[in-house]
Amino acid sequence: MEGGHGTDADREDEDSESEILRDRFRLSTISIAEAEAKKNGMDISEPIVACIADLAFKYAEQLAKDLELFAQHAGRKSVNMEDVILSAHRNEHLAASLRSFSNDLKAKEPQSEKKRKKVSKKEDKASTSAVHIPDL
Amino acid sequence: MPSGHIGLTLPQNRCSLLRAEKNEGADAVDCEVGVGTSKKIRPTSANSNALKLSCELLRVFISEAVQRAAAIAEAEGVSKIEATHLERILPQLLMDF
Repeated sequence: MEGGHGTDADREDEDSESEILRDRFRLSTISIAEAEAKKNGMDISEPIVACIADLAFKYAEQLAKDLELFAQHAGRKSVNMEDVILSAHRNEHLAASLRSFSNDLKAKEPQSEKKRKKVSKKEDKASTSAVHIPDL
Repeated sequence: MPSGHIGLTLPQNRCSLLRAEKNEGADAVDCEVGVGTSKKIRPTSANSNALKLSCELLRVFISEAVQRAAAIAEAEGVSKIEATHLERILPQLLMDF
């Protein structure tokens, strides 16, 4: 990695940090997968759970990259909820479910609503994707 | 801890991973553009609601994978989800997400 802040010790710290995060992610994934299997009255084989965990991890990496690109495309340095909803555009049901989840989240914070309305006007201009996101 | 772009302690562990990954993505941008110019591109952060929503998205991803595989297993009359069941639902899952 360029940039001059790569002493070996730093790199090792980053690596071990990302290992810990990866493991935490795996644990969360495993518990979600097993709970879901139980809900469906099924057992799930361990290697398959591990497989799903790895899959979810890769998906999370892609998601993070997409969100960063969307925010940058809109001229922002910070990812917001609209970016996340946009990333789910391939499946209408998914997008709708996320939108209603996001409405619930918004309802829990009364203060920032005025700010949000101004920002969303800018976003409508900036985001030139084919999918139209209705103004919330 | 990474240089606190998002100073949150959300209960979901997956959120801390998202934080780290967004930092990683931003470092890459730095390298491509920043060598030679002294432009400081601050790494991308995410607001707390976006983070929570992303966690929900990931949770749904995992949940859908298991539910769809379970449906296949059930149709086969089997009570354990195996590789073949996961294989079968994978293409549509990846297209939907």
